[in-house]
Amino acid sequence: MAVAQAKLVKETEDCSLLPLVHDIIKCMDKDSPDVNQELTKLKTKIQETREQISNMSGIDCSPPEQQQQLATLREQVRTKNQLLQKYKGLCMFDVPKAS
Amino acid sequence: MAAAAEKSTKERLLSVLDDLEVLSRELIEMLALARNQKVPQPGEDTQILELLVQRDKEFQELMEVAQQQGKIHQEMQLLEKEVEKRDSDIQQLQKQLKEAEHILATAVYQAKEKLASIEKAKKGSVSSEEIIKYAHRISASNAVCAPLNWVPGDPRRPYPTDLEMRSGILGHMANLPSNGVNGHLPGDALAAGRLPDILTPHYPWQSSDVSAGMLPPHHGNDFSLEPPGHNKENEDDVEAMSTDSSSSSSDSD
Repeated sequence: MAVAQAKLVKETEDCSLLPLVHDIIKCMDKDSPDVNQELTKLKTKIQETREQISNMSGIDCSPPEQQQQLATLREQVRTKNQLLQKYKGLCMFDVPKAS
Repeated sequence: MAAAAEKSTKERLLSVLDDLEVLSRELIEMLALARNQKVPQPGEDTQILELLVQRDKEFQELMEVAQQQGKIHQEMQLLEKEVEKRDSDIQQLQKQLKEAEHILATAVYQAKEKLASIEKAKKGSVSSEEIIKYAHRISASNAVCAPLNWVPGDPRRPYPTDLEMRSGILGHMANLPSNGVNGHLPGDALAAGRLPDILTPHYPWQSSDVSAGMLPPHHGNDFSLEPPGHNKENEDDVEAMSTDSSSSSSDSD
């Protein structure tokens, strides 16, 4: 659990662009020739993030919509389970008493 | 706000990322311009920087939401698989129920048919004693089995004799004379061998002098007793009818 949490934190930290922007500003302050390299890093990072977002699954809808779909699916599974249990529990050869 | 909530997380992420790109570019350009022109910065860059930080925070939050949505998506896929499995189970069960329904419908139909035939049999019931008595009578008259001493040419059973055919209903319908020498021949009498003298068959191999007086010479081995007034049409009818031995023998009584 702790490992997963740490992984999540790392992933979200990796998403931030501020460190790269900070590096660029630092390079500009120092008149460093690495500024172009840092700029390229930022561009590459932005492009990679776009691709990552495009490849992420389950984000084609908003969280409330997704929750709604999840609830619907759970309800379907529950209903179908109930139906199957009802049929399995049915005694086929029980003759109903004549009223 | 409501419109933003309806947007998908992907759209929001891409939108915020675009904002981040634009803001970072503007900030860098502004800093570079300010640095080259050596003019004091008016504070606009601070606003852009704050906006950039805010957007970056929003982006990270959205990325967390996206991660959570990815996990929920995995759970939904598992649930979908479960739903598919349940659907297949239900379809299988439905198929079995259909088969059972078909079998039961057939069984009910057959049972109804059987009940109807039972009801029909009850209405026209015949006592078993009567049936046995009748069967005994048929068998005693060699109606179903030839006598032990039967030889080819013997006009007795198992087939209905010409006499019996003429004395039956069909014979009467054809207006065949059935009295005198062609009168009714009781089956029991035949079976017991107590034939009246006039009806006792005389075979050519027994005594030719007796049979010569009884039968016309052109008959040869044909032992049918031809009545007076017999015509060709009636003979054809009777011969055609006497082919069915079992049914005719029972009808003749």
